[in-house]
Amino acid sequence: MTNRAARRALHLALAILPLLAGACRDQANGGGGGARDQISAVGSSTVYPFTTMVAERYVAANPDAKAPVIESTGTGAGMKLFCAGIGAAHPDIEDASRRMKASEYKDCAKNGARDILEIQVGIDGIAFAEAKNGPKMQLTPTDIYRAIAANPGGKPNTAATWRDVNPALPAVPIQVYGPPATSGTRDALAELIMTKGCEAFDASAKPLAKSDPDAHKALCTRVREDGAYVDAGENDNLIVQKLQSNPAALGVFGYSYLEENRDAVNGVAIDGITPSYAAIADGRYPGSRPLYLYVKKAHLSAIPGLADLLTLYTTLWGPDGPLVRRGLIAAPDSVRANAARVIAERIPLDPAELH
Amino acid sequence: MSKSLVAQLPTGPAEPAQRVPTDWTTGAMQGRIRRRYAAERRFRLMGLAAVTLSAGFLAFLLATMLWQGIGGFTETRVTVPVDLGAAKLAVTPAQLDGRGADLALAGAGLEGIVDTSASRAYGKDGDNLLSGGAWLTVREAIKADPSLLTRRATFDLPVASPIDVAYKGKGAPEAEAMVARLTPRGVLSRSLNTGFLDSADSTDPTRVGIWGAFKGSLLTMLVTLLLAFPIGVLSALYLEEYAPRNRWTDIIEVSINNLAAVPSIIFGLLGLAVFLGTFGLPRSAPIVGGLTLALMTMPVIVIAGRNAIKAVPPSIRDAALGVGASPIQVVFHHVLPLALPGILTGTIIGMARALGETAPLLLIGMRAFIAAPPRGLTDPATVLPVQIFLWSDQVDRGFVEKTSAAIIALLVFLLAMNGLAIYLRNRFETRW
Repeated sequence: MTNRAARRALHLALAILPLLAGACRDQANGGGGGARDQISAVGSSTVYPFTTMVAERYVAANPDAKAPVIESTGTGAGMKLFCAGIGAAHPDIEDASRRMKASEYKDCAKNGARDILEIQVGIDGIAFAEAKNGPKMQLTPTDIYRAIAANPGGKPNTAATWRDVNPALPAVPIQVYGPPATSGTRDALAELIMTKGCEAFDASAKPLAKSDPDAHKALCTRVREDGAYVDAGENDNLIVQKLQSNPAALGVFGYSYLEENRDAVNGVAIDGITPSYAAIADGRYPGSRPLYLYVKKAHLSAIPGLADLLTLYTTLWGPDGPLVRRGLIAAPDSVRANAARVIAERIPLDPAELH
Repeated sequence: MSKSLVAQLPTGPAEPAQRVPTDWTTGAMQGRIRRRYAAERRFRLMGLAAVTLSAGFLAFLLATMLWQGIGGFTETRVTVPVDLGAAKLAVTPAQLDGRGADLALAGAGLEGIVDTSASRAYGKDGDNLLSGGAWLTVREAIKADPSLLTRRATFDLPVASPIDVAYKGKGAPEAEAMVARLTPRGVLSRSLNTGFLDSADSTDPTRVGIWGAFKGSLLTMLVTLLLAFPIGVLSALYLEEYAPRNRWTDIIEVSINNLAAVPSIIFGLLGLAVFLGTFGLPRSAPIVGGLTLALMTMPVIVIAGRNAIKAVPPSIRDAALGVGASPIQVVFHHVLPLALPGILTGTIIGMARALGETAPLLLIGMRAFIAAPPRGLTDPATVLPVQIFLWSDQVDRGFVEKTSAAIIALLVFLLAMNGLAIYLRNRFETRW
């Protein structure tokens, strides 16, 4: 009895063998070279919540459209995928939390993606935050630079507490949870805060940026690796949790996370300005940066719905729009109008503007 | 004869009697006995403590997950009267038949009407009360019953995520105030969130579902099973029944054992380089995920299969050969059916491991946001564990309980698979 049942199970198992051949055929059809009828986007985890929201509304408005595929890879890794070529196998949209670099454009152009639309969707602030019961710090870019740079002023960083950096600050140990090196947020931290602090602290840094970019990088934007700066991965919720359990630490993340966790963490004032919607929108807060979409022009006519999705983006990014409710900071009117014109008239980016 | 035998026996009971019986009553002896019993008790206690500790960890995990996640299976609803008759939607009943219905209702501004109704009922911030998908509930109701278009009706609509969080526990101050205002009016209620089981990913925690990820998991597992099971079983049979015992067989055996111990992320890198890079298969597709996981699962099946085949007694083979069966008849009529329960158990355990796997799938792009379930093996998809990972990273507070709820769903799925393995083993196992 058992034996017969087992044999029947065996026959069943052998019967699925031919299906294997079917699976192999399927695999041949699904090759990346053919046409694709869904939009594909990669890139920054900061822009991801906004693009996913637009994609969701796009699907709700067009029930027949296939759902776009949006991957959060980080700006740098996304650029590599985006610039690997044109055609169905490569993404249509790159979400970027910083501007495309000239080297990345060169890579794109080499692989055939010469015409790229650059669309600024809004602004984000990188916010420093501490737990509700934290030491209520008041920092300047110079303080931050001296606390977390690897070689402030050309000497290895030995500062252990914030008081070592600036006598006006409390004597709490320096411990900063922040994004990893592949993140656009980290690039913004380097560019907006550290470079600024570096150039204010060390007058020789500014000319160095032109004459010897590598030396400038080592001096200004390299982050110390002795444990004072903790690389917390792309998971910003984790940083919020760490701050709650360790009130002496600071966290660095996108403004939308600060907004969502107002009851758990406080924003840290930089140059006396606390991160808030108004301060970031009008550029008073030093840690504000533009967010971009990069779109391949050749794909606009090849991928169904891509142009509609971008048009939908323009209707949602206004100051009262749903993207702002989700944590985006609306760009000024002129920037939004310009971006909408880029989409409507399909004006490619001028590579000479990049650096 | 018997006499001589008796003569060879020990010469009498006197000899054993020379040994003095152990005196159990002396202090030293009693001490030894106590030490032996104590050692026994200590060992039993330590074993019991180890079991209790691990059971405690498991209970803690399950209890916290259930505590946090059970709310994810329910949703908060608010009663909203909507007067569709007065709103005079420009939709004809004919338009409500067939595929154009969604577009027609969206185009007629149903979303605005629902928001206005909420504001009218609950004050000017009433539209913040509703979930972004609340009007979809009304849309479905109208599609099911077009007569709603001509009259006034009340709907139980899902509330926005902050209100949901506040109603179920501790939320943001404004949301708490809103809940405190509405609760005495008796308009808030909790009901089963069926959408969580049958919809796909969303940016709004009140509208997310696990079906998209679950279907992605099923498709991926299907590809894995179809590849790994036949190849694994055939390799095991060949190695055990036919392969000559020589250096090459040893090398293959060592390689398979090594392969079973390779960290899964390596298989992800392999999949990225080979399936996406060389073969140009689509990114994020279940077929690629299945191929990658099949590489990972196959060695497990080969090892389990070989052990099961080895456990079939040689007498069965000899008997079958003896009555004239050919070697292939011996294998397929006798050895394989008897070994199958063991092979199936190994396969299911390997598949359960593949089901919980995240790392290799992240590398091949199965971590995307996709608002619809996959329709085939080459459609972009994600899988349950990756979905859990994605939700844990979401900004919105409402995702915390959804993450835990998805973990519960994954655990139930895994338990079902392991239960099936135990059932098959007990049902078909033969003992010799």
